[in-house]
Amino acid sequence: MTTATLPVRAAHPKGWWGAVIFVATEATLFGTLVGTYVYLRFHNAHWPPPGVPKPPLLTPTLLTAALLLTSIPMYIASRAAGAGRRETAWRATTAAFAVQLVYLVWQLHDYVHTIDVYDPQQSAWASIFVTLLGADHLHVLVGVLLSAWFVVRISSRLTRYRIVGLQSTAFYWHAVNVITLVVLVVQLSTHL
Amino acid sequence: MAVVERIEHLEELWLERPGVLGWLTTVDHKRIGILYFWTTIVFFAAGGTEALLMRTQLAQADARVLSPETYDQLMTMHGVTMIFFFIIPMTTGAFGNYLVPLMIGARDMAFPRLNALSFWLFAGSGIFMYSSFLIGEAPNAGWFDYVPLALRQYNGGLNVDFYALGLIFNGAASTIGALNLIVTIFKLRAPGMSWNRMPLFCFALLAASLSLIFALPALTADCIFLELQRKLGFHFFDVAHGGDPLLWQHLFWLFGHPEVYIIVLPAFGIATSIIPTFARRRMVAFPLVAMAELLVAFIGFGVWAHHMFATGISTATLVFFAAASMMVVVPSTIQVYAWLMTVNLGTPDFRAPLMFIGGFIIFFVIGGLSGIMFAAVPVDQATTDTYFVVAHFHFIIFGAAVFPLLGGIYYWFPKVTGRMYDERLARWSFWLTFVGTSLTFFPMHIVGLLGMTRRVYTYRHGLGWDAYNLVETIGGFVLAAGLLLIAFNIVRSLRAGELAGRDPFHGGTLEWTVPSPPPHYNFAVIPTVTSAYPNWDARAREADLRRLERGELVLDGGHETPATTVNDAQVTEILEMPPESPWPIVLALAVTISAFFLLTEHYATAAGFLTLAVLTLAGWHAQEPGEA
Amino acid sequence: MTRVALLVLPLVLAVAGCGGNQNTLDPASHAERSISNLFWVMFGVAIVGFAFIVFLLFLGWVRREQPSLPGGRGEAAATRIVLGFGVALPIVLLSALFIWSDFFVVRSTAAPAKGSTALTIHVTGHQWWWEVRYENSTAVTANEIHIPVGTRVGLVLTTADVIHSFWVPELNRKVDMIPGRENRLLLVADHPGIYRGQCAEFCGLQHAYMAVEVIAQPKAQFEAWLAHNAQPSARRDALFAENCSGCHEVRGTTAHADVGPDLTHFASRRTLAAVTLPNTPKNLRDWLRDPQHVKPGNRMPNLELSDADWRALQRYVESLR
Repeated sequence: MTTATLPVRAAHPKGWWGAVIFVATEATLFGTLVGTYVYLRFHNAHWPPPGVPKPPLLTPTLLTAALLLTSIPMYIASRAAGAGRRETAWRATTAAFAVQLVYLVWQLHDYVHTIDVYDPQQSAWASIFVTLLGADHLHVLVGVLLSAWFVVRISSRLTRYRIVGLQSTAFYWHAVNVITLVVLVVQLSTHL
Repeated sequence: MAVVERIEHLEELWLERPGVLGWLTTVDHKRIGILYFWTTIVFFAAGGTEALLMRTQLAQADARVLSPETYDQLMTMHGVTMIFFFIIPMTTGAFGNYLVPLMIGARDMAFPRLNALSFWLFAGSGIFMYSSFLIGEAPNAGWFDYVPLALRQYNGGLNVDFYALGLIFNGAASTIGALNLIVTIFKLRAPGMSWNRMPLFCFALLAASLSLIFALPALTADCIFLELQRKLGFHFFDVAHGGDPLLWQHLFWLFGHPEVYIIVLPAFGIATSIIPTFARRRMVAFPLVAMAELLVAFIGFGVWAHHMFATGISTATLVFFAAASMMVVVPSTIQVYAWLMTVNLGTPDFRAPLMFIGGFIIFFVIGGLSGIMFAAVPVDQATTDTYFVVAHFHFIIFGAAVFPLLGGIYYWFPKVTGRMYDERLARWSFWLTFVGTSLTFFPMHIVGLLGMTRRVYTYRHGLGWDAYNLVETIGGFVLAAGLLLIAFNIVRSLRAGELAGRDPFHGGTLEWTVPSPPPHYNFAVIPTVTSAYPNWDARAREADLRRLERGELVLDGGHETPATTVNDAQVTEILEMPPESPWPIVLALAVTISAFFLLTEHYATAAGFLTLAVLTLAGWHAQEPGEA
Repeated sequence: MTRVALLVLPLVLAVAGCGGNQNTLDPASHAERSISNLFWVMFGVAIVGFAFIVFLLFLGWVRREQPSLPGGRGEAAATRIVLGFGVALPIVLLSALFIWSDFFVVRSTAAPAKGSTALTIHVTGHQWWWEVRYENSTAVTANEIHIPVGTRVGLVLTTADVIHSFWVPELNRKVDMIPGRENRLLLVADHPGIYRGQCAEFCGLQHAYMAVEVIAQPKAQFEAWLAHNAQPSARRDALFAENCSGCHEVRGTTAHADVGPDLTHFASRRTLAAVTLPNTPKNLRDWLRDPQHVKPGNRMPNLELSDADWRALQRYVESLR
């Protein structure tokens, strides 16, 4: 009744802005973690320290590539939801979720092994490396939980609340993917 | 439909859950603001008591009133409490939450349940931190907790673990609060409230909140590293395994310096609210002031190593940070002169709120001048870590952050409670507090120059410090008396103050257009803003009244408030606000319990409670406001 | 204006020399003089600036009935004042200050280059005492640093445990002592005397009682002192070996340890417990028997010895001149 006369314009919803600010703070956190890695690197003649094997190249690169690709279905899901196309949105979200889940499980399995091999209790290098990786995996875990939530919620119907939630989640995922790429670059830099 | 009927309908829609349960599940920004207010007052009293105990020990040389261990815990907790549990939550959580929606013409914050969560997490973090006193192991390594002193090797008890986990916990609460303020200011401003019409108080809170978002992660990372090293044997700060103790300092001050601007910016915001009202004219150079507030926050990120001038960093580094530290002075001087010009151009009514701002200006200038001295590197290297710097930051924190707060408490007391404070008592309380502050902190400049270092539980007689310390202690008690007088005035006026009405001071901003106290829904009709001082814009307010009569922008289809565009504040959609919710307090409880288990190394149980916390989010989001 | 003077006068009186001997503004070296002069100039300008602000506030109160600046001026003039005093003047003053303090004065207080001083002394911070070792000498002492007057002396500063900070206010700025780093400080005393200093970085329970004395002596006296301190002790003691040698070194005996200060020439020092008490027989007695009462939390434990043993031990320690 009262809203009919309002001139309404398209704009990013508040939920999206919330995701942006949240990403800003998490990105800053990763900035400090990477910054710490670089800072300590310049305080050490050998980095990683002698005797520590360098982190693997192939598996992390392939896994990260797979994760980065999930930005595409997340983008599709986001657009579809905004246009009211529930089925497309759901399929895209589910596809992304499947790959994200596989990524996460595989990485967590490798992570346990990583901690064993590099042993943060032995060096600052291993300490910051393990922490950086762990922080990334934690953020991926949060993303996986969010994806799972929307796989469930969007299976039944779309509401404004769920659309904004999905779009915010997609934004979060794009950010996590970028951060994961940065972490991969740090990992690969040990081979330089 | 008559206006009266529309309002009755709004009252019904926005009916609050009664009793204690209503307060525990509230998502109303005003109630949350009040919860923050009283909680932070309790912490202020705790921090003040800690200070008075310290001052009692320091009143005489070689005193044995307190053991060094007790003193070190009091000294640390005084700093931690005042910064993390008093001033930040008071300015952002109490003042910010209560006033920002009212000032921007909204009916609540952007995320009301998240708002409640930020409060309950804050309360939980306070309980967590203070429980350390129950086992006599409160944090004891200073509020900046330098390593190696904070490492397990030199500090084996739980003290530092309380500190690190407590600050991570508290930081999460502050981050959430800051996020809410930013999105609210961006998206919920009333139609027509473009950036140049937004109150300066909101600019100040925006600057402070953006700073919190970008500064807190450094502290969080630092504390995570510290706990990983202490609990799991990681290596970040010890040289033997490739770490560096200065890493702690860099990360700490990367947070710590912006933090002091986070502390003082909302106080500037309060000053720039009180001055136009009591000077009875708009702020001089409004756009310069708004820009200066944002600039202070921005430049403040580039000066952190000026806290490390004595650590042996290179000359080039010294010079860079000294330059940046000098630059950050200019946005502050702009504001000081703008305030003074506004007072001079206007016809100031020096009632209590403006008196506190007068005191604030004097103390801020003193603190700022000694601050400039620290940008002269050689003098910094002589005076850092002495009572000279203790004087500097107390003039800034107490003089420049707390004084506007006290003025603000008097200023907005009528709006929040509907009653007037006692003016005569308020003026007495100003003078007592002003004299007390001066007596307590001014001699510290002198005794610092005479060689007294900071964080000492006692000092030798015969060094010329005794008389100053005694005066400072007396000053502390005078100051306490002044604060108690303010508290007495407030409490008494709550019951016995005369009724204030809607607009006792004829302020310019939107909070003065609604009843005192405001109804749950704030505005019967969403205001349409055409000036930076909407309450002085009679034509626009009359137009609002016409709209109310016509039923336009009343938004009574539910718990509604409009979302608008970021720049020009044109309406984009109608938002539905959630009703009361139990999930925020339940989530906060789960996180608090988890923190205790992390502290005591029961990691599996801690993870369990954190999982529980995550699960409450499912319940939270299953309840979708606005959906059938 | 009188209000300002009343504030200033006690400050000037207080710091211009009537305090103890840890007074930043009572310089005894070129470096400290440059710091002190810089401070006074800044203070002078600050007083003027502060007075102006107070004046403007006062003016606002006095002219509170008039909605204009003096002379009927309005907002345009006010904005010019904001820009002039709030932007232009600070930029000018701060630039001048920056160049003077952070390009010129900073050179006077800069760390001396390695090898550029006539004498080098290594000072290591401990919880809660100072280990002092003289380069090119076997002299080792604690809490008391002798230097020849008028000579460039370089201190090499580090720590054995947590961060400390070395600060002798009348001689120079402070420098932190950080694990894994060696920071350098220049000491040049203009005239003979005893210059007191104190640890300036919170380092735990007894940070408050961790002071140091720098004693500047004429060159000949210093050389004699150094030669004497380089000597090992001729005296040994069974009680000492049994109860104290776990922490304390007495060169020339079997007592070798570096947990606590070297005591080889303890009896010739002016103070004990890092300048907490004068080194008198009564104070020594109190310290030996109950160090935890004198300096609660310090690393020297209270021992259970018989009265006779205590007296014998004290006699031995007093003989370590």
